[in-house]
Amino acid sequence: MGVLYPGAFYYLLALIPALALAYLVRERPRRVIVSSVLAFRALRARRGRRFGGWPQPDWMFFVEMLILSLAVLAMAEPYVLRSGNPIAVVLDDSAAMQALAAGGRTRFDAARAALKDALGREGPGEVSLYLTAPQPHRAGPPFGSAAEAAAALARLRPTGAPSDPAALAALLSELASDTRLRRVIYAGAQPLAPPVPPRIEAFAVGDPLPNYAIGSFVLRREALGHSALHARLTVANFSPAAQTLKLAITGDGKPVGHAQAHLAPGQIGVVEFPNLAPAGVYRAELTPSDGFALDNVAYATAGAVKSISILFVTPAPADAAGLATLPGISVRVASPTSFSPTDLASADLAIFEYAVPKEMPPVNTLLVMPPPGDPLFGFNIQPAARVEITGWPPTGPLTDSVNFRLLNLRAGEYLGQHPWLRAIVTGSGGALILAGKRAGHRFVALGFNPFPYLGRQNLPMSVLTLNSLSYLAGFGAETAGYHTGDPWIVPAGVTGIVPPGGRQIKVTPGMLFTGANFPGLYQLISSDGAKSLRAANLANLRASDLENTPALKIETSGSGAVAEVAPRRAPLTNDFILAIVALVILEALVAYRRRRRSVATV
Amino acid sequence: MLGLPEEFTPDFLARLEHLRIKPRRAFEGLGKGSHLSPRRGSSLEFSDFRHYVLGDDFRFIDWGLYGRTDKLYIKLFKEEEDLLTYIFLDASASMGLPEADRKFPMAVATALAFAYVALGQGDRVMIRVLAGDGQASTPGFVYGRHRIVELAQRLGAVRPAGQLDLATVLARELVSIRRAGKVFVISDYLMMINSVTRGLGLFTAANMDVTAVQILGGSEMAGAGLAGDVELVDAESGERVTVSIGNREREQYRQTLQRLSREIRTFCLRRGLHYTLYTTDLNFHDFFLRATADFGLRH
Repeated sequence: MGVLYPGAFYYLLALIPALALAYLVRERPRRVIVSSVLAFRALRARRGRRFGGWPQPDWMFFVEMLILSLAVLAMAEPYVLRSGNPIAVVLDDSAAMQALAAGGRTRFDAARAALKDALGREGPGEVSLYLTAPQPHRAGPPFGSAAEAAAALARLRPTGAPSDPAALAALLSELASDTRLRRVIYAGAQPLAPPVPPRIEAFAVGDPLPNYAIGSFVLRREALGHSALHARLTVANFSPAAQTLKLAITGDGKPVGHAQAHLAPGQIGVVEFPNLAPAGVYRAELTPSDGFALDNVAYATAGAVKSISILFVTPAPADAAGLATLPGISVRVASPTSFSPTDLASADLAIFEYAVPKEMPPVNTLLVMPPPGDPLFGFNIQPAARVEITGWPPTGPLTDSVNFRLLNLRAGEYLGQHPWLRAIVTGSGGALILAGKRAGHRFVALGFNPFPYLGRQNLPMSVLTLNSLSYLAGFGAETAGYHTGDPWIVPAGVTGIVPPGGRQIKVTPGMLFTGANFPGLYQLISSDGAKSLRAANLANLRASDLENTPALKIETSGSGAVAEVAPRRAPLTNDFILAIVALVILEALVAYRRRRRSVATV
Repeated sequence: MLGLPEEFTPDFLARLEHLRIKPRRAFEGLGKGSHLSPRRGSSLEFSDFRHYVLGDDFRFIDWGLYGRTDKLYIKLFKEEEDLLTYIFLDASASMGLPEADRKFPMAVATALAFAYVALGQGDRVMIRVLAGDGQASTPGFVYGRHRIVELAQRLGAVRPAGQLDLATVLARELVSIRRAGKVFVISDYLMMINSVTRGLGLFTAANMDVTAVQILGGSEMAGAGLAGDVELVDAESGERVTVSIGNREREQYRQTLQRLSREIRTFCLRRGLHYTLYTTDLNFHDFFLRATADFGLRH
């Protein structure tokens, strides 16, 4: 054992007398003038604990001395020398390892048992444990011995995420080329293509297995105002025989659709459900069952397509009344004077009527008759008592199905040329509808007011309004859901995520969430307590194809000879810090109990 | 009210007027009063006979006795004189602590109540303040109920201070006392028991009728406000005791204080002294009016 910075011990010379001084000062009792000390004389004396005297042999003092000594030792960065070349263990914990192997065990159990046997044959030396899903990574600091690593293996379980074969091959290649390593032990579903480097001992547990899988489960709302959803699922038959696969979909636990597809061996098919009844959570189940149950079930949530939250900033709140009658839309009204940019945190899109924000909104925005002279958008506005549409594109997301000849516009404003908004609809005096993108968000500006929304009473204007909102809300796009192992950016306002069958994880909006490694429903909890669901599925047909698992090709550099390594320094600083923390907690508990005992009836 | 303590409500004063000091023996007074004196005098209470001598008032010749014995005897009667009342008030520093307990104001109120009773029945009162930072002692006896205001003002100006050795101070006071009478000693008696017994014993040896009133604070008795490691400083001697006070120590302190009070009480009872303990957390009126017998007062 040694220390990296022996100079730290000089601190002991100063700190321990300082502690003794502080201890004596702290022990100085409170002075109280009493009428007489006559009745106190018989009480237990505590002489010698006053400042200037010697402390009584209180074990707390020695605990603090020990804490201080440990702190100085930790500063000196102690270490122990460990000899022997290290070992690397790579365990495949991807979703495919949950498939059943021979003997009724899963592939993961078989791989773990193989690794334990291999580690039992190894001599002394550090063991580094690597896991493969969703990306290859080292599972904590190296273990001191093979026995410790074997014990750690028993606590692992496979993820529901696929692994990245290229990254895994790269990791194994890198480990196989490391001359410091005595051995690399790999156990996983993918075999290694020969020639296997001599340093690698591989256990392939991926025997071919017939499997039927759901590849994707996609929901979309065809247009704004439709309550029904369109579902599209890809299914695959990874078995040597043709098979009729049955799909059953439930919405919030009730059956909402079923279909079947007859697929040839290795064929991937698509099953569509064009008119699914509205529900919050959809669950698709594939039959017949097989030895890999993870990809036979898929989830989708309607939350992303079901509702749009609109912040309507207007001095005329009555204009927003008609919008709330549209299915899947919730409208919140704010006046321009009370509007604050933080109001946009929970909105999917914003409408500014006769007003513009002071800074670029972080959501898609519809600007209705913006006032002249705003510095943010800089519209060149020409007010007109009556505006007239003269030109429009025959097709386009904003103009589809709109009969502009029937539009009866009255007072409005021509918006003129704009540096980054493109004129979509023009009138005799300039542009009347502008659209464009800025900072990743869509913006539409109207030179006339389509509100209030009147539905069938003003059909051309209503279609134009729905087109605009659909364009801004991104309708028509598929919500493909999320794949296990893919990181998310935590949405605005979300402060906690509850994984399926797990405890809540605290998150902050904007951070990368990398814990979606198991398929199922994740609960997103907002700061105001609102909860929303997000589905994550395996959705990886490559991982589901258990019949044809490609072998990993390992490329190594060097001869494969093991280099003799000098004894390595294993730092003990963390152990010292743990001991300090434990002692501090112990001292705090004792001090708390003493205080409770002494302060009783003051 | 007129500088009297706030405890002296009209109702309380009315109740005091019904009280009288009842000494355990007759004392010679300085003038006519309402207490029987060991002197022969002109009261209605028969005392003795003696032979008639020339010059005696023949109105006092017992003619019935002359008829039976053929000798002239004069009937003698007891004298009724006033009672000399001495009130010793401890104003040492310990009486001022703990301040919240108001030990000294209660001691002053007690002393004035005794004085009011004595003055109300026509007795002479001398108040001596032991220690303290003022000259509140009356130079001699005061007489007349109206002097209570003057006494209250004098005592109201006193602040507890200084150290008191009760035995020494009372011995010095005893030297200046010419005639025996009723003695009230009001103190917290937080001192060595020897000093207390020696001080009070001097008065009993001088044939005085002594009442010892011990006044302690309510929180002082409970040991409240003291917890943890404390360095206690004696307000009078400056002696320091460092202790660690918890529930057990506080209970031990309470028991010690109660034992000290019991020792003083036992001494008083054995020596024929009146003794009363007053803790300031009790209502003063209730205490005073219920403890009249213990004070040596009667209705």
